[in-house]
Amino acid sequence: MMPWYALLPLAAVAFVLGWWASRRASARRSGAAVNELSSDYFRGLNYLLNEEQDKAIEVFLRLAEYNRDTVETHLALGNLFRRRGEVDRAIRLHQHLVSRPNLSEPMKTVALLELGEDYMRAGLLDRAEALFADLVAMNAHAPSALRHLIAIYQHERDWNKAIEHARRLEAMTGEDEAPMIAQFYCELAERSRQHGARVEARDYLEQAFRCQPDCVRAWMLTGRLHAEDGQHAEAVQAYEAAIGADIAFVPEILPPLLNSYACSQQMDRAERFLREMLERYHGISPVLALTRLYQQRDGQRAGVEFLTGQLRQRPSVRGLMALIDATMDRVEGEARENFLILRDLTRKLLEGQAMYRCSRCGFGAKAHHWQCPSCKSWSTIRPIHGVANE
Amino acid sequence: MRLIVILVLVFFVAAGIVVGALNADLVGYDFAFARVQLPKGAALLAALVLGWLLGGLTAWLGVSLRQRRLQRQRRKDAGRKTAGA
Repeated sequence: MMPWYALLPLAAVAFVLGWWASRRASARRSGAAVNELSSDYFRGLNYLLNEEQDKAIEVFLRLAEYNRDTVETHLALGNLFRRRGEVDRAIRLHQHLVSRPNLSEPMKTVALLELGEDYMRAGLLDRAEALFADLVAMNAHAPSALRHLIAIYQHERDWNKAIEHARRLEAMTGEDEAPMIAQFYCELAERSRQHGARVEARDYLEQAFRCQPDCVRAWMLTGRLHAEDGQHAEAVQAYEAAIGADIAFVPEILPPLLNSYACSQQMDRAERFLREMLERYHGISPVLALTRLYQQRDGQRAGVEFLTGQLRQRPSVRGLMALIDATMDRVEGEARENFLILRDLTRKLLEGQAMYRCSRCGFGAKAHHWQCPSCKSWSTIRPIHGVANE
Repeated sequence: MRLIVILVLVFFVAAGIVVGALNADLVGYDFAFARVQLPKGAALLAALVLGWLLGGLTAWLGVSLRQRRLQRQRRKDAGRKTAGA
């Protein structure tokens, strides 16, 4: 009888061969998987950089299916969905992430923050508010959550809550939020003024000045309150202080300021101030104001002479239009017809022009806004200086 | 390449059949607790297959266990990093 261990050397050789073959196969398999993963990842990244979000989503979806545990891929996907406007898909994805039982706490808070942003984009502000408030209470991503909460309260025009949260953000990050808080107080003051609560409006303005002593808007509102109360001398002081705080707002401030000068019979002071503005400010508004002043005081010819001289130094379409209007009465016949055509042309040229631009995002506007309608930043919309603008 | 692999396989299968046919006589094995009578060729094949399978299984277990351990470690590290951030 042959002993069974006579077959052992043969089995040992087969064992070594089997072991070697298996190692080789698994190495090839894992290498291929890694290569496939990384090439997919870079392809997705490439699509993102080329702004081809549809293709990027496809690639990341495949990556997410390949490895269901990769939270980062899911977060990137959710972000992409939201940016593409597919908010419902982003919400579903982030809700699914949040409900995972084995998700680590830091990842869960990131997913909650993303979910809150989805809700904000979808206009579900109450849900977003609750989520961000939870995050602030948990002290997880609190500065981001606070910024989102402030944006929500601004949208809802709940200025008291916006102030409260801006102060918390200031205390948390050490960043200066005073200019923004001053704007919130100005909003409150404006609302009180509209409702006839003038004392309350003045209190809010005081708070605004406490936050930002050179707040142009607060000075303008102060001037307006004084003017409405018939205190034109005080209104003039406030408006002049507003221009002193930021000379860029001259086109906004000049009309009510000139009105207060006229009501308080301080036209000499008005002339002095406008002459000073001519030196300091390079737009057309002070020129036009002075032209009107000279026309009223010294006659049409004096006004036109001043305007012509100024237009040679600072050419402007608005100035040209004022010149055409001023000289129209003295022209007759064919020349008058030509002047009318020229006036229509300049009017149409000005109609299509944006007079203000946001210094932060470049948004163009025909009227002045304290908060940019596009990027929502405060006091960044400024008059455009150019031949066809200011 | 595929054709060569097929030819080699056919050669080995044919060799196996020839060796099996030439060694069809029975041999007895004593495993202390049992005695079995097997054809010589079948015994050879059984030893080879068993050895190959055991070798493959050992290698596969070693690789997959190590990968799982590494994955666990990586997840732990990622969690710690996010908590730190």
